[in-house]
Amino acid sequence: MKLVHKIILGNVLAIMFIAVVYAFSYQKLDLLLNKLNFVEIAEGLNANLLKMRLSEKNYFLYKDKSDLPLIHEDLNKSAQAIDDERENLKRAIGKEKLAQLESNLKKYEQEVAALEKSGEFTKEMAESLRETGRQLREQSASLIQLEREAVNRIIVASRRALFSFFCFVLAIAATTSYLFFSKMFRSLRRIEKVATAISKGNFNKIGGKIPNDELGSVMTAINSMSEELGSRLEQLIQSRKLASMGVLTAGVAHELGNPLNNISMVAQNYLALYDDLSPEDRLDYMQTVLDQTERIRRVVQNLLDFSKPKKTDFQMVDMNQLAKESLKLVQNMFDVTCIESKLELEPTLPPVFIDRHKIEEVFVNLLTNAVHAMSTCGGAVYIRTRLEEKGDSVVIEVEDTGEGISAEFLPHIFDPFFSTKGTEGTGLGLSISYGIIKNHNGKIDVKSQIGKGTTFTIQLPAHRQEEI
Amino acid sequence: MAAYRIMVIDDENIVGKMIKTAFEHDGYIVETFLNPKPALARLKEEKFHVVITDLKMKDMDGMGVLKTIKDESPEIKVIMITAFASLDAAVEAFRRNANDFFAKPVKISDLKACVQRLLHETPSQG
Repeated sequence: MKLVHKIILGNVLAIMFIAVVYAFSYQKLDLLLNKLNFVEIAEGLNANLLKMRLSEKNYFLYKDKSDLPLIHEDLNKSAQAIDDERENLKRAIGKEKLAQLESNLKKYEQEVAALEKSGEFTKEMAESLRETGRQLREQSASLIQLEREAVNRIIVASRRALFSFFCFVLAIAATTSYLFFSKMFRSLRRIEKVATAISKGNFNKIGGKIPNDELGSVMTAINSMSEELGSRLEQLIQSRKLASMGVLTAGVAHELGNPLNNISMVAQNYLALYDDLSPEDRLDYMQTVLDQTERIRRVVQNLLDFSKPKKTDFQMVDMNQLAKESLKLVQNMFDVTCIESKLELEPTLPPVFIDRHKIEEVFVNLLTNAVHAMSTCGGAVYIRTRLEEKGDSVVIEVEDTGEGISAEFLPHIFDPFFSTKGTEGTGLGLSISYGIIKNHNGKIDVKSQIGKGTTFTIQLPAHRQEEI
Repeated sequence: MAAYRIMVIDDENIVGKMIKTAFEHDGYIVETFLNPKPALARLKEEKFHVVITDLKMKDMDGMGVLKTIKDESPEIKVIMITAFASLDAAVEAFRRNANDFFAKPVKISDLKACVQRLLHETPSQG
């Protein structure tokens, strides 16, 4: 579900819930209002009955007959009030009690009528009237009491219900927010991880299930961007190789020109001096031709190896051997620039399990950079191998005596497209090398001093015998 | 007439060996060097008529050899040979008074003709 739909759904649910709470509160408040109205009426009834009993008391005290019509008046008012609120009363105190109230009222009326008729009253009559009046008062007082209790109950129940609503809303909001945001943050973290990797030149993709929401769209976009960048990088690597081919060509002319010249000169002498040459000389000449032909073949082979795209191919490799071969690949570059190359190799090294072509590419990159760092003759590039102190990795150092890299640039030299060579470099060599070494679970570091030179240190895990 | 002395400086030992074989066959005295430094030292001890030097070598540039020889003994003929032939290099060599310039592969007969031509410009003093 899309995030926008989730947000809309959440809002709709919240509004619906608020409506439910509103309806509940409205209904309860309405009920409360009715109850309070009724209490008012009941208090009116109570006041009537109180007045009636006051008249009754006066009558018995002063025997003044004019009090009796007053009692009648109040009785009628009370009967009218009961009649008006019959339904409410029935609901409040029940049919039975209402009937009792009405029969008491009737009884009281009859007794008062009897008093009026006789003009005299006996002690029994007075007692009976008083008793009926007292019961009426009690009933009406209990009526008020009952309604007040009902009002209290409604208030307490509403308070509880609202509190429950509050807790419910809080729990739902917390749970849905957690689910909603944790999912979103998980997605964001996945995006962040890949974006960071991309910025370091690893064109990874966001793996696993892509959620069907806006962040999913972002992930899909990042994945296609990463793929696009990856393929662009491939193209750049290829063009960089072609560019290095340009640099190499000058060396290659030298590298091929020399053996060709040697063969040519040997052949010229062989033809011109055939009769003067001893059989040993002739054999020696032909052997020279073969040796020089082999030299040409190797140069061509090296060029082909360097320029063709390579598949991943991990194998056990002797690092010293690889260092020598890599140096041979770029030897002509050293020759034409009169920079010395010095191998300082630890004689006994454990083998490393690597893609030899990839690591060779790293060496060629580092050696090319080293030569470029030294503009003047007389410098030297040292290639050293050694076993790391703990013995679990092989260390390769490529050190030049060139200009060095300023501290300001040093942290960026493994960044893609970072180049101090201006338009000459693609800025990819070291970034690619970094990626290759990382893919081998190795480490590549750089140290540099202005005017003294730069040292690249590569560590590759040594392959122990028992692991095979 | 004493034999002409020829010095060959090239880090490819076959070049020295073949030039030596071919020129000694014609009666020249040939000394070969793989590095410019001992060659230049030898020039101080012995008089040579022609120096044939490679342009690109490890220790010192062939251009440097040319400059040193022409500064110290301008009468010595210097022939440059190179496998790294470019117009710029040739122009640079002639500007520094190289007597001739050959691109590898070198035709030995051409080289011989060139040496003879150069030697006839200057009579042997040996």
